[in-house]
Amino acid sequence: MKVKKKTAMLVSFTLGTLLLATTALADIATKSGYDQLKDALKVTAEQSSEKFDSFTMDLSIAMKDNGKTLMTENEIRKYNRSMSATESLSSGEDLTRGKHNSQVYLDKTTMIRVSDSDPTYYVTEFTKERKEETFSNPFKENRAEDIEKIADAVVGSLKDHVVVTENPDGSKGLAGSLTEVQIPSLVNAVASFQMKQEFDGRQDNLPHLTKDVFVKEVKGTAKVNKDGVLESILGTAQLSGIDDQGTVHEVTIEVLGKLSGINSTTVTKPDLSGKTVIKNIANSDNSSSEITSPEKFVGKFKNDILIEKNNKFVKVGERFIEISQIDNETVTGRYYEVFKPGYEEYTTPNRDFAINAKRANEKNSSDYEYTTSSGIKGNLFFDQYAGKIFLNGRTPSLGSLIFDSTFNPDVE
Amino acid sequence: MAVFQAALVNEIEKLYKKKKALVAVLLSLAVIVLGQLVIVGVRSGFGLRGAGSLEFPMLVLSVVVNTVLPLFTALVAIDSFSGEFSHNSMRITLTRPVSRFKIYTAKITAIVIFILATLLLLLVFSMLVGFIFNTNSATLDSIVRTLFSYIVSLFPMIVLALGIVLLANLFKSGISVFFVSILIFIVLKVLGVVFSQYSSLFMTTQLDWYNLFLVNSFPLGKIVRQFLIMLGSGIMLFTAGLYLFDKKEF
Repeated sequence: MKVKKKTAMLVSFTLGTLLLATTALADIATKSGYDQLKDALKVTAEQSSEKFDSFTMDLSIAMKDNGKTLMTENEIRKYNRSMSATESLSSGEDLTRGKHNSQVYLDKTTMIRVSDSDPTYYVTEFTKERKEETFSNPFKENRAEDIEKIADAVVGSLKDHVVVTENPDGSKGLAGSLTEVQIPSLVNAVASFQMKQEFDGRQDNLPHLTKDVFVKEVKGTAKVNKDGVLESILGTAQLSGIDDQGTVHEVTIEVLGKLSGINSTTVTKPDLSGKTVIKNIANSDNSSSEITSPEKFVGKFKNDILIEKNNKFVKVGERFIEISQIDNETVTGRYYEVFKPGYEEYTTPNRDFAINAKRANEKNSSDYEYTTSSGIKGNLFFDQYAGKIFLNGRTPSLGSLIFDSTFNPDVE
Repeated sequence: MAVFQAALVNEIEKLYKKKKALVAVLLSLAVIVLGQLVIVGVRSGFGLRGAGSLEFPMLVLSVVVNTVLPLFTALVAIDSFSGEFSHNSMRITLTRPVSRFKIYTAKITAIVIFILATLLLLLVFSMLVGFIFNTNSATLDSIVRTLFSYIVSLFPMIVLALGIVLLANLFKSGISVFFVSILIFIVLKVLGVVFSQYSSLFMTTQLDWYNLFLVNSFPLGKIVRQFLIMLGSGIMLFTAGLYLFDKKEF
């Protein structure tokens, strides 16, 4: 009897262990639909940024309220990785703005923009070749891994809602749908709160939802081809709520993404012949604050010295900056003030000094710093886009004078 | 069988006479009341629905299976074993002409009945509250799914109870069992988040396995795997606990 009991215990314990171990292994080996979707996304992002020479991405969004279309947006992006060129065509329609569409072409040296509201082609030519990648893999970004972990935790038990159907040709179909009961209350509450902010009545084409807002349904389907690349993904979300008049609104948002024309997409530069073209030259390196052809700042810049008198602004004189030499390292010039006859009483000391400014050492700073002979420090900033000079100096009290740090070119 | 029945009735009566079971029930009801207050607050404050008549029982379940229920399962299980060890009342139980296996099984059955009773009580009350206070969103399908979710939540709870019983037979004092259980619970929860790809193996993730019964496509494979994992660990924990209980000297 004693032996029998021990054997029984041993047998049942072994049985339990075996059962646990085998199913655990089987469970780890089986990839949930959610994991397969994630894999497909990763493969697609990697192939698009490293392997495919060219491809077309098509993204559409539509929003409907009780079946009435509120807004549609469509964007077709053509990528050519070997030429580093992209072309995007976007079009859309909404209730307030009506139809609109625009086109942007971008390659290593040029950017061309045009839209139907303004038939002018805006061409930007870059002085240096751009080094940016045509399509960068979002999964390679620094925080991608952390974000993935957070997403996994949030999705949690919803992972199993994604159903996979395998087709005989090796392609896969993924589908999933969640209704009210299946969406965790907290997720539903946070999502509906976010959506409610969108429908706050500030945009007149959207319904103003005030009460009983909740996410009714979320659906999605995706197609993965035999190479594991995501070919299309469609998501639909339905939001329900009541507006201030008591009408029930069912707002549907549909998002469709498609990837096509792998290695067979052609990106064509718009033909500019016979079109109105506005050209502009830019430094492609955005982080650099270098002034292109700084000589343009040589000359006289001025602004008015104003005072407030009897509730009116009265001009009492002019401030001048004269730049005699400028390059991307140093600036020399002079600052002085000239008062109109009768207003000389406002003249303050130390307001006429030579400027010997040097570019600040800090990275990305485009300020030129100077110290006057009387020991006052200040700096100059040249705004090449607005054609203005900004002067920031620690100036002694100005009394009733109104100080203006912006200087415009004195071109007359 | 008659002997086992007598032992079971004995255990249930002991459980029933203790205040802990009552406190557990009251606290569960408090969760319902508090949950409904939060929903009402969210509804009038933010203008969100919060939860419909059938989402409410699910909301209550998702809160209770991760908080009140494991806590009181632990308390009841510890009381039934460690409590009796330290009060020496286990000797009285063992002097009866009942085998240790039967006593052990009777004790566990009593705990299971306690969990089931709490779950059913929660189901009834949360459904009532849900229907009275919230917008009606019920369909026959969702009612069946809700019922199922409550009932299947019993299984991971049993595994949890068996784990705690094993600990109660391992350690002498009830307090150390309680704290070790809580520590393990938290560690498993954290591991479930960090190693989310293996999360289905952790006992704490299985507490949420009722979600599988809500999936439209009814993922049978996944349900069977999860059930077998629970069954396997349940058998292991039961046998290990029984071995210790059988060897114990009083």
